[in-house]
Amino acid sequence: MDTNTTSNEYVRGTLKTIVLNLLAEQKRMYGYEITQEVKERTSGAIALTFGALYPVLHKLEQEGLLVTESVEVDGRLRKYYSLTTPGSEAARTKTDDLERFVDAIRLLLAPKGLATE
Amino acid sequence: MKRLQENRIELLKSYLKNNGLSPELLPEILDHLACEAEERLWDGNSFEHAFKGIVETADPKTLQILSVEHNHLLAMEKTLNDIVFEGRNKSYGAYQLRKGYKSTMQRSVLLGVTFFLLVMLLPDLYARLTPDPKKEDIGFEATLLTVDIKPEATPPPAPIELPKPEPQVNTKRFVSYDVLPDNMVPEEITPPTIDDLQHAVPGQENIEGNADIAEIVPPAAEAPAGKGKVVETEAPKEETFIAVEQAPSYLGGNAAMADFLRKNLKYPRQAAQAGIQGKVFVSFVVGADGKIEDVKTLKGIGFGCDEEAERVMKLMPNWKPGRQSGNAVRVRFNMPVVFQLE
Repeated sequence: MDTNTTSNEYVRGTLKTIVLNLLAEQKRMYGYEITQEVKERTSGAIALTFGALYPVLHKLEQEGLLVTESVEVDGRLRKYYSLTTPGSEAARTKTDDLERFVDAIRLLLAPKGLATE
Repeated sequence: MKRLQENRIELLKSYLKNNGLSPELLPEILDHLACEAEERLWDGNSFEHAFKGIVETADPKTLQILSVEHNHLLAMEKTLNDIVFEGRNKSYGAYQLRKGYKSTMQRSVLLGVTFFLLVMLLPDLYARLTPDPKKEDIGFEATLLTVDIKPEATPPPAPIELPKPEPQVNTKRFVSYDVLPDNMVPEEITPPTIDDLQHAVPGQENIEGNADIAEIVPPAAEAPAGKGKVVETEAPKEETFIAVEQAPSYLGGNAAMADFLRKNLKYPRQAAQAGIQGKVFVSFVVGADGKIEDVKTLKGIGFGCDEEAERVMKLMPNWKPGRQSGNAVRVRFNMPVVFQLE
């Protein structure tokens, strides 16, 4: 539980990038699909709660980075998200930014001797 | 893949609704939770177990937060109108009017400006579109010249005739003397001598005259006592007036003249036989002395009537002459003489 909350803390900052990055790969996804995809790839290390995911999706949609289309599946309305042109641009820059950030963090967290080598 | 039954979905739906999830979010969250439930069923859990797990993840608090966050997101997009009309009857019309105000305004301004410009430019457009008149259509062309209008030169006023200097005789200062003490007698004044007065008369000042002293007329002869000099300006004889201030008239008036005519006028026999009647217009000149002259017929009726009228006219005694500016003048006078059979 404790590890989960701390990981959630980091996830909150990178959630936008994660979603954009996934959508850039998969073209179109729905909410549950995204959570499953994240869970599978990280083998359950990162679990997106729908309470965190949907506000981000809606915000990105409002910013014009995503478009939605509703499709009826099994008698239920399923909302698919896909990137717009500015969305894919944002996905690229954000992923680059995150990678650079992760590198910097790694440098920070690495033992001193190793870092100087 | 196990599929959720309809009643199970309904159960989820009512759960979400009861926990205050906003209806806009409902389908999406429902789908998500349904997927999750199916997943759990797939793992071999019973529906009751799965539902319990779902309620754990989607506890009422989380749903509440989700709804509030969604509302905040929407609020950022809302305009002032949306806030004003929140929870009011939007279909009444005012909301539509307000919403469309901006575009309506833009359109109306654009239309108004276009219309105004069109009206303003219409004469110019018309002039451009109508072809120039053909050569043969032009009846005549008038060319305008600039004319300098000069003020009419007023004739110079007639030179004023200066009154001729009155004849002036030589005078010699002749002063009557007062008896004064010696010291007050002015030296320079000496009485004129006889020689001085040979060619001058005594006067107040010494004046060089321009007339001979011998021409002086004795005052008695110059101005006869009680008699003014009468200046008679006679009108020139040849001038004959048509209309004068005071017309000439028969001595004794019109009645006397009618009497005279009745007495002297004889109906010519020829005319009486032919039964001629009418007026003979005779013209004559009443001289300055009242004499009738230059009698002629202007318009006659013939048969001896004209001659008879002229004869009688010549017989008339002297008239009272016409007067112009108080002077008797010659006046031409026209008169109809009526010949009428009884």
